[in-house]
Amino acid sequence: MSLEQFKNRNVGVQNYTNLELGKSPETGMEQFTQVVKRTFKGELFVGLGVVMKAMLKALFKGDMHTVKYPFEKLPISPRYRAIHDMLRLLESGNYRCIGCGLCEKICISNCITMDTRYDEDQRKEVSEYTINFGRCIFCGYCAEVCPELAIVHGARYENASEQRAGFSLFDDMLTPIDKLNLQQEYDGFGAVSPNADENIKQTPLAY
Amino acid sequence: MYEIVAFYLFSALIIGLFLVTVMSKNILYAMTSLAAGMVLISGLFFILGADFLGVVQLVVYVGAIMALYAFAMMFFDATRDIKEKNTNNTLVFLLGGLTAMVLVLMFAAPIYSENIQALYPMTEGVGNAQDVGMVLFTKYLIPFEVAALMLLVAMIAGIILAGKKMDDSLTEDLSADDEIMIAKDEK
Amino acid sequence: MEAVNILPEVTWVGVLIKAVLILAIISALAGFGTFIERKVLAFMQRRLGPMHVGPYGLLQIAADGIKLFTKEDIIPQNANKLIFMIAPIITAATAFIALSAVPVFPDFTIPEFVPVLGGVFVPSIAADLNVGILFVLGMMAAGLYGPLLAGMSQANKWGIIGAARTAVQFLSYEVVTGLSILAPIMLVGSLSFVDFNNYQQEGVMSWMIWQQPVAFVLFLIAGFAETNRTPFDLLEHEAEVVSGYATEYSGMRWGMFFIGEYANMITISIIAAIVFLGGYDAASTFGWLFIMLKIAFFFFLMLWVRAAWPHVRPDQLMWLCWKVLMPLALVNILITALVILV
Repeated sequence: MSLEQFKNRNVGVQNYTNLELGKSPETGMEQFTQVVKRTFKGELFVGLGVVMKAMLKALFKGDMHTVKYPFEKLPISPRYRAIHDMLRLLESGNYRCIGCGLCEKICISNCITMDTRYDEDQRKEVSEYTINFGRCIFCGYCAEVCPELAIVHGARYENASEQRAGFSLFDDMLTPIDKLNLQQEYDGFGAVSPNADENIKQTPLAY
Repeated sequence: MYEIVAFYLFSALIIGLFLVTVMSKNILYAMTSLAAGMVLISGLFFILGADFLGVVQLVVYVGAIMALYAFAMMFFDATRDIKEKNTNNTLVFLLGGLTAMVLVLMFAAPIYSENIQALYPMTEGVGNAQDVGMVLFTKYLIPFEVAALMLLVAMIAGIILAGKKMDDSLTEDLSADDEIMIAKDEK
Repeated sequence: MEAVNILPEVTWVGVLIKAVLILAIISALAGFGTFIERKVLAFMQRRLGPMHVGPYGLLQIAADGIKLFTKEDIIPQNANKLIFMIAPIITAATAFIALSAVPVFPDFTIPEFVPVLGGVFVPSIAADLNVGILFVLGMMAAGLYGPLLAGMSQANKWGIIGAARTAVQFLSYEVVTGLSILAPIMLVGSLSFVDFNNYQQEGVMSWMIWQQPVAFVLFLIAGFAETNRTPFDLLEHEAEVVSGYATEYSGMRWGMFFIGEYANMITISIIAAIVFLGGYDAASTFGWLFIMLKIAFFFFLMLWVRAAWPHVRPDQLMWLCWKVLMPLALVNILITALVILV
């Protein structure tokens, strides 16, 4: 479909198939013949056949649609926005977070709180970092704004809790140092686009 | 022995239940006890070995007639007691008691005087239904047919009374149907 | 019931044992029926059904039973307490009384080495009435009081609607059940299940279904309506009347309605298997296996239909009964009578 067509489409004029229901019976005789016809057409047995086929397929061809949820989980989209993860640099294992505070600034539900300090190398690092998941609306702005791809949305969606306010500390969300080799480069919300390299231009210092 | 015990048990229960039917001010109690009494009457038939009559009692009285009563009772609030409007309790009891006494005398007198016997005793080896059918279609053929005719008359009368508005549906809006038809025609 | 004296070799001990057996096994089967129903419906909708309690969810019945027994027995404020309390018992009791006149399990004699009861003959029919079929139908007809009184006593609008529907549906379809089964009765010339069984003993071709296909279909349809099964389960159709007559019930009283319903399903299956599908072959060793299979088929059919077909509207239900099924049954009887006469 071209863009022109796409923009000009009107609901109702596409190639819908009209169901030919015939005309409804008016006289008593017509009603009678309709009943007799429907009785002997065997439409009811078609219904029985369909469910029986479904059952046999489910039982013997493995076409069972149940997912035994707590034991098996469906894979979720990389763009799914669940509980945040804090990533590390793969080579050194240092935090990616540079304590710039953009995520705290942009958070529209004010659920991110952070505090920073200078470490011994005079680099900024976070000293306190909490997300209040009772307030977080999982909009994904924090992941999008993060210049270092340090805060991202992970895949932990089972966040039922007994109380409204559920705080998560920086260390809870941080990739454990011993699982660093398992850390996946994030390709979800706010990640760099696949052609990011092509988009990089030289900084115009010559001007 | 079983029969005697069962007979007295059932009789006492039937009388008790029918007393509840008469005395109770609650529709539900009256109805339930009447139905239960009918079931127990069929029990009496079973004791006598008249299985067919017992079953007919079950099907007709319990299954059909009482259920129709119940259907009529649905138009009232069944959970509330009814207020009876009798001004003179003594008179009611006197008249009711007298009528009952006369009825009992009327039925009991010939039984007592003639030492009643079964005119058509059960034949051994033949089912109950056959026995009933034999009597019904020989000696009592004319009353049987007259009863059938009466039921037919009642049925036709009922259909005519109820059927005047049979073609009008209470649930469907007929004018809405016409609009649909017009819309179809215009297409 | 009191017809013990008809069969001389059956003692009252045997009948008592039989009654206890029927009560115990059919209530267990009714529970098991709920499990089977949930499983079959699940498979037909490509689900797994109950899986977690016991292997393949088999102990789900026990879990449900414990839940029903320990649940609070709520009686609504304005309800008529006594009637409200006995209504479920009526349903369960009539269902089991109806079962007393059908052959349920093979007859057997308790072996001699059993201490007290050794040598007692346990009949296959608890009460072998010679009007067995009529008795079963009559008792199932009496079963309408359960839902009826339940609906009327609970001071709930949905209950009243459910009770009204009970009266209408059961009364109407009783007519069809009776009339449809009348034609086979005329052919056999007896109301006893044993005679029906003996009539159809010459192989598959002597089964009643080939002589009376119309009666079979009519009986099956009316049986579905009388057991309150899906195309006709308007008494407690959730989408229309919340839960109908069972709206205010909970716990064991609610459970009793369903034990009664499943017992009725088994009864109808047994009648259909004996009257139309040849019954049991007492002479052959596998006769009882075959009748179990036939009964199981009818039970499965009820679940199958539930998965496949939609409900009917109440007016369609009445239309079907009085304008289609009853005239057909009458014509069927007339033709059968003419054939017998000629």
